[in-house]
Amino acid sequence: MNFQIILNILVAFIWMFLWETFDFSTFVIGYFVGMFLLFLMRRFIPDSFYLDRVYAICKLILLFIKELILANLSVVKFVYKPNLKTDTKPGIFALPIDLKTNWEITLLANLITLTPGTLSVAVSNDYSVIYIHAMDIPNVEEQIDGIKNTFEKAIMEVTR
Amino acid sequence: MKTNDLILKMTTTMIAFVILAFSFYLFFAGHNAPGGGFIGGLMTSAAFVLMYLTYGFGTMKKVVVINFRTLIPIGLTVAVGTAMGSFLFGVPFLSHTFKHLHDIPLLGDPEVATAMLFDLGVYLTVIGVTMTIILSIAEDA
Repeated sequence: MNFQIILNILVAFIWMFLWETFDFSTFVIGYFVGMFLLFLMRRFIPDSFYLDRVYAICKLILLFIKELILANLSVVKFVYKPNLKTDTKPGIFALPIDLKTNWEITLLANLITLTPGTLSVAVSNDYSVIYIHAMDIPNVEEQIDGIKNTFEKAIMEVTR
Repeated sequence: MKTNDLILKMTTTMIAFVILAFSFYLFFAGHNAPGGGFIGGLMTSAAFVLMYLTYGFGTMKKVVVINFRTLIPIGLTVAVGTAMGSFLFGVPFLSHTFKHLHDIPLLGDPEVATAMLFDLGVYLTVIGVTMTIILSIAEDA
């Protein structure tokens, strides 16, 4: 991925030198040319085309914004419940994770914390489980599946 | 004995992109500076030939999925289509026109000409012909 970005910047610089115009817009056009060339030759270079990954990052950010809005709305509903004590079941559950690197696990834990309703408490010593506190867990399996299918999948798409 | 051609392969990966960028420059510069569809197409095929030399047919068959033979009719159609397009405006065959655009983001004030489309046809045809000649000679051996 780094190699591809360097190659892309290299093409943009070559483009500037060929046109003998050293301004930002020429650089951007050259960058687009490089992007097109990399797309054309995407089977030629090792690793997958890096814009796929950029696309995955954008998708993750949009997913995060969507989840943030939905979860905040659910918290509003939660706060205005008449009998909070009897209706809700707070608790801590363990979420098994398939993510490997420290960076991925940190990102997932932070995303869980930032979306209200759930809060990541701790990561187990062998990096295989995140303990999560939830305000209301009618069904643990459902919660685990929800996180696994949205955030973990999106993070996986970014990193591999 | 088959030697390890790592250096050649790695250098080709870099150089191929430089040559392709140069060929694109030649293609676009053709209006006001030396360059144009013909030399641009030749330069693009040069990059492809370099890749074929380095990686061989087996790999390149997977990498380049376009059939170069189909580029010839596509390029000819584009060129003839541009020439025929002048009939739509009631002017003789192969008449060309241009327009000066203002304040396009990034590009500034470019002058767009229909001769560019004709050049694109030439460009595609040249790539198709060159690669077809070279590859069909090489495949028989």
